[in-house]
Amino acid sequence: MTSTAARQMELTLPMVADIEIAAARAAGNLGREMGMSSEHIDEMTHAIIEACINAREHSGCADNRIFIRFIGTSTGDGNRIDVWVTDHGKGFDPEEARARRPAPGAVHKRGRGLQLIEAHMDEVDISATEGGGTTIHMAKVEKKS
Amino acid sequence: MTEELKVAVERKGGDGAVLYTKGYINNVGGEEIANRAYELMDAGVRTLLLNLRETKIVNSIGISILIEIIEKMIDKGGRIGFCCLTPVIHKTFQIMGLANYAKIYTTEEDASRDLALTA
Repeated sequence: MTSTAARQMELTLPMVADIEIAAARAAGNLGREMGMSSEHIDEMTHAIIEACINAREHSGCADNRIFIRFIGTSTGDGNRIDVWVTDHGKGFDPEEARARRPAPGAVHKRGRGLQLIEAHMDEVDISATEGGGTTIHMAKVEKKS
Repeated sequence: MTEELKVAVERKGGDGAVLYTKGYINNVGGEEIANRAYELMDAGVRTLLLNLRETKIVNSIGISILIEIIEKMIDKGGRIGFCCLTPVIHKTFQIMGLANYAKIYTTEEDASRDLALTA
């Protein structure tokens, strides 16, 4: 299937309170421009918010920056938005994070960010190395009905 | 960039109240809700409904504070309900386990009827 109308956007955001809202708004605008449903946009923006909070709270990076890249692609099958959220911090082990999280639905006050990201997005992969930063790549896909 | 949460309170009968939230429920917003909820609990409220019709975004930190409010109310023998959630907030509450300890209603009317909240 030929991809059409790829839209790209890159943001460099300071790690300050509520900066995740700026990323969410940018994603929302992109999704609306592509004609994505509000439910898909809301799920994507909530996942991006959690990814930014993870970077802000846990990366321990020296540059205090979050780097976000969006690519929106429309095809005959529907729409797809890929998002990369990157920090230059200490990195983490995603498998270890998955192993210590509680079962879905169980009450647990913290440590749900990655679980929420995976629940709200269609594809998630994480590349993280100790001391080498973290990139969470996630994609939201909306197929034409 | 800050996203201030606004909270309005309506008392319902002797031991009931509805909290209306407007804005982003993050750590600051969650604490604002908690402060108002704890004030109400100290004043004898044991049935509390949180109407989130004007809240479109929550994060996991804000929800963790909501869970603390639920735990405190349960400790006091009371109950908490939520209503008017967007689909993504409803889904997020279920993942976070909040739906196990607090009822979620589609409308405030449904919630008021079930929780026996009277004007």
